[in-house]
Amino acid sequence: MSDVLMPEQSDTPPPSDGGRRRRLAPYLALAVAVVLAAFIVVAIAAKGGTKDSAATPLLGQPAPIVQTTTIDGQPFDLATRRGSWVVLNFFSTWCQPCVAEHPELLRFAQSQAGQPDGAELVSVVFNDDVAAVKKFFAEHGGGWPALNDTEGRIQVGFGVAKSPETWVVDPDGVVRARIISQVTSAELNELLARLKAGTPASS
Amino acid sequence: MSRHAYKGWPAWIGLGVIAVVALVVGVSQSGGASTPSERIDAIARTIKCPVCPGESVYESRNSVAVNVKNEIAREVRAGRTDDEIRSTLAARFGDSILLVPRASGVDSLVWVLPVVVLVLGVVGLGLAFRRWRLDTASAGAPSAADEALVERAMRDHGDGCR
Amino acid sequence: MNGVLGMAGIALGLASTILGGITVVIGLTKGRPRLLRVGSLYVWFMLGGAVLAFAAMERALITRDFSLSYVANVGSSRTPALYNFAALWSALQGSILLWVLLLSLYVAATLLWFRKRLTDPVVGWALVVLFGISAFFFLLVAGPANPFARTSGTAPTDGLGPNPLLQNHPLMVIHPPILYLGYVGFSVPFAFAIAGLITGRVGEGWLLDTRRWTLFAWGFLSIGIVLGAWWSYEVLGWGGVWGWDPVENASLLPWLTATAFIHSVLVQERRGMLRVWNLSLLAATFSLTILGTFLTRSGVIQSVHAFSNGAIGPYLLTFFGIVAGGSLLLIGWRGDRLRSPGSIDSPLSREGAFLANNFLFSLFAFVVLLGTVFPLVVEALQDRQLSVGRPFFDRMTTPIGLALLTLMGIAPVLPWRKATGELLRQRLFWPACFGVACVVVPVLFGADGLAPLLAFGLGGFAAGSAVRQLALATRRQGWRGFLGRANGGMVVHIGVIMIAVALAAQVSYQRYAEFTLHPGDTARFGGHTFTFLRQVAEDKPAALITSARIRIDGGPVYAPAQQLYKARGDIIATPSVKTGLTGDIYLTLLTPEPTSSATSGAPAPTDTTLTFGVRLMPYTIWLWLGGGLIAVGTVLAAFPGRRRRRPTDPVSAPTSDRVPAESRPDERELVTARRLGRLGAVGGAAADV
Repeated sequence: MSDVLMPEQSDTPPPSDGGRRRRLAPYLALAVAVVLAAFIVVAIAAKGGTKDSAATPLLGQPAPIVQTTTIDGQPFDLATRRGSWVVLNFFSTWCQPCVAEHPELLRFAQSQAGQPDGAELVSVVFNDDVAAVKKFFAEHGGGWPALNDTEGRIQVGFGVAKSPETWVVDPDGVVRARIISQVTSAELNELLARLKAGTPASS
Repeated sequence: MSRHAYKGWPAWIGLGVIAVVALVVGVSQSGGASTPSERIDAIARTIKCPVCPGESVYESRNSVAVNVKNEIAREVRAGRTDDEIRSTLAARFGDSILLVPRASGVDSLVWVLPVVVLVLGVVGLGLAFRRWRLDTASAGAPSAADEALVERAMRDHGDGCR
Repeated sequence: MNGVLGMAGIALGLASTILGGITVVIGLTKGRPRLLRVGSLYVWFMLGGAVLAFAAMERALITRDFSLSYVANVGSSRTPALYNFAALWSALQGSILLWVLLLSLYVAATLLWFRKRLTDPVVGWALVVLFGISAFFFLLVAGPANPFARTSGTAPTDGLGPNPLLQNHPLMVIHPPILYLGYVGFSVPFAFAIAGLITGRVGEGWLLDTRRWTLFAWGFLSIGIVLGAWWSYEVLGWGGVWGWDPVENASLLPWLTATAFIHSVLVQERRGMLRVWNLSLLAATFSLTILGTFLTRSGVIQSVHAFSNGAIGPYLLTFFGIVAGGSLLLIGWRGDRLRSPGSIDSPLSREGAFLANNFLFSLFAFVVLLGTVFPLVVEALQDRQLSVGRPFFDRMTTPIGLALLTLMGIAPVLPWRKATGELLRQRLFWPACFGVACVVVPVLFGADGLAPLLAFGLGGFAAGSAVRQLALATRRQGWRGFLGRANGGMVVHIGVIMIAVALAAQVSYQRYAEFTLHPGDTARFGGHTFTFLRQVAEDKPAALITSARIRIDGGPVYAPAQQLYKARGDIIATPSVKTGLTGDIYLTLLTPEPTSSATSGAPAPTDTTLTFGVRLMPYTIWLWLGGGLIAVGTVLAAFPGRRRRRPTDPVSAPTSDRVPAESRPDERELVTARRLGRLGAVGGAAADV
């Protein structure tokens, strides 16, 4: 703490040029008081709690490389999807919110399929067993590709730590949005509409 | 206080030489360039596990941490430097994934401030001691009466030294 | 019923502190000593209220009274009784309740200790300050941290139980109370320091009065910290003892300033100097306990110890501001009285060493505090997140630690006022030889790395110095040579050195490997063999446990496990440790994990492979032995030392009063002789208190 600098002065007996030295102590005390007050102000302003900020350094940057196979064995490369909007959803069967948002994703995929420049929905298997995911999709529907990520390269490439997360990549391959909570179909549709219209996305 | 001649300067210099030699030998025993796996571990120790609070990617067994560590391994094998790897990870996960703050910008304050405090403190202590020594010196040489007093005390009561 | 009793207790306590404080203040300011005695009676009501509230909560926990939301959160019918009892302090509100109880006990003990001096204004003002601190904490449990709030809606039939990490090791039962005995204990010396400032009696009186209180609190804080490190090692499973986690730092910060304080008071007792340092360090210690509580309980900093609730933050922060700001004001106001009569003659002296000690510990505390709050500050100013983790703290505190080890070696042999190089060369010769040996021998065995080798060398040097002091003292006084502040302090030093050396060895020389084996296979690592015998699945009331039976070196069997706690669904890895004198073997089970699909009771298959981690940790047991020595040394230091001579007597003067007066030197002669530097070694008794 800043107490370090204070006390040398007061230990000496008043010297001959005491005037100059005696004035130093109040300034040191003042400095300590200022630092203390500043710290308290900062602490009051601090926002606590888990920081699930949807901010990412990748916003506005080219999307990371996604080159892998789907769980059905087909090759997939995000670069070949240039020219259309892509929505990536990181999914695990063991994650409650992911399972809960699945019907919404179904709805979203259907609504986008009906549009001319509809977005493509792609799932990424997040730290899960591929067989379990296949079984889940077979039972609950979902005709969109689900990508293998056994080595975690896609997850690390995007900086994803928890599922579910949903990312939006525009036709030029640039990351435009990141949602870190459960999504609804309406939300996604609205977000896409805004992005396509040119207004910056804020989720 | 007993005075032994063997504890004089020559013995101390000898001790110092042995100590320095031992240290030099010890430090050089760790070898030069670290193996790739040591490099990976070293970098992993400075990357925070994104999911589990308080652990680095080196310590955590969480699947996300393992994936990040594998990515570090891939980058090390691809020949990137430590700083490049750290920057890449920060570019994806955000600055908060780095356990060691950068040495530039506002972040460097956390490195610089302690050094500043150290320097100020040492300078302050040095000035204080100098002032005290000057004060004592300015107290003047002992007078003849003082000397006589001390002689009498030493004669009467013996050497107070142990 | 429990809720009503608890709230009644809190109300009683709160009212008593306020009324008691007001009464004593009136008694002090109006000069009515009788009111001081009356006011002190309120302490007993306060204690009664705290005990009532604590007992009500324990009763609620033991009877599993889930109508209280706190019990519903941390109590459970499946938790064993001991952990249920300890669940009181496993979460925020209950931990403040524990604080309240301990504080009330301390205040009552203070009253009893000083009962013959109740009319003394210093004791009176100290009581006022203690009432004020107690009032604050009672206010917390009455308001934002109320443990007796009812559950909303209907009471659940069962609770979640404490966090799984807090119910699988008995250490968790004693670690918080011991730590709190330390934290809370510093309130008493702090109160007396403030009382001294208020009354203007800033001499050495308050120091001597509270000497044993400070030692007591410091001792418990030290043990609490070591226990926390042990818990981190035995329970958390990451194989470390100290992670520079914000909650750990919150306990370390007051310890650092308190350690500086207990050393620096020796200078004030002896020569009346460093008064401002001492007051500042003590105020800093107490302020840091409050700040630490704020940091760990307000939720502003994320941590493994997640323990937070936003409402309590502003209260703690305000109190911290009042304490720190108030202390600063008082010290500034009494500044002129704090000037000391003497000055430090030479940096190479006991006083100089203690001044350097103060500086180093303050720097250490500054570094730790900076690292802990820096993410907070950056986020508030720039709205972005950054982390400050282990590598920063290790890198910054290692040089300071090494400097402290050096000082620990030199300072005990330094005489007061002035030393010569000759003296140091003579006294430190054998410690230096030992220190050099502690570098040479490891190097011969292949040790490497500058930091650990320096730690070994300087640690050996410091240990040699401490042992030298103890040897001299016991040679003169027999077994009494272990008693007293100086000698007990040397024992504590040895304990601290053991911890420092063990930490250095651990950090630099630990080794880790993972193995995947079939049942019956053996792996080899670091000169040991590990045989995987079989996998075992158990279904306990609170958790599903998957463990591996692993035989080390053909000897005993160890069982690292993974536990799935049914209530909360967390999976906790439990390590298994083989402890030895030269090192530990630390086993962790990596796969398989118990799956929740097995809740129906089907055991996991027992013929599959299993992956486990082996960590070789050198000299871990020295950490715990060192902690034990610190405790022993603190107790020894609480005893009175050898009978004091007058400080102006030469070292060789006998301490008995049977010496005829005329053979004792005249004081004036001695003072003059000392000033002339003639009696160079006078006062050089290193074993002198």
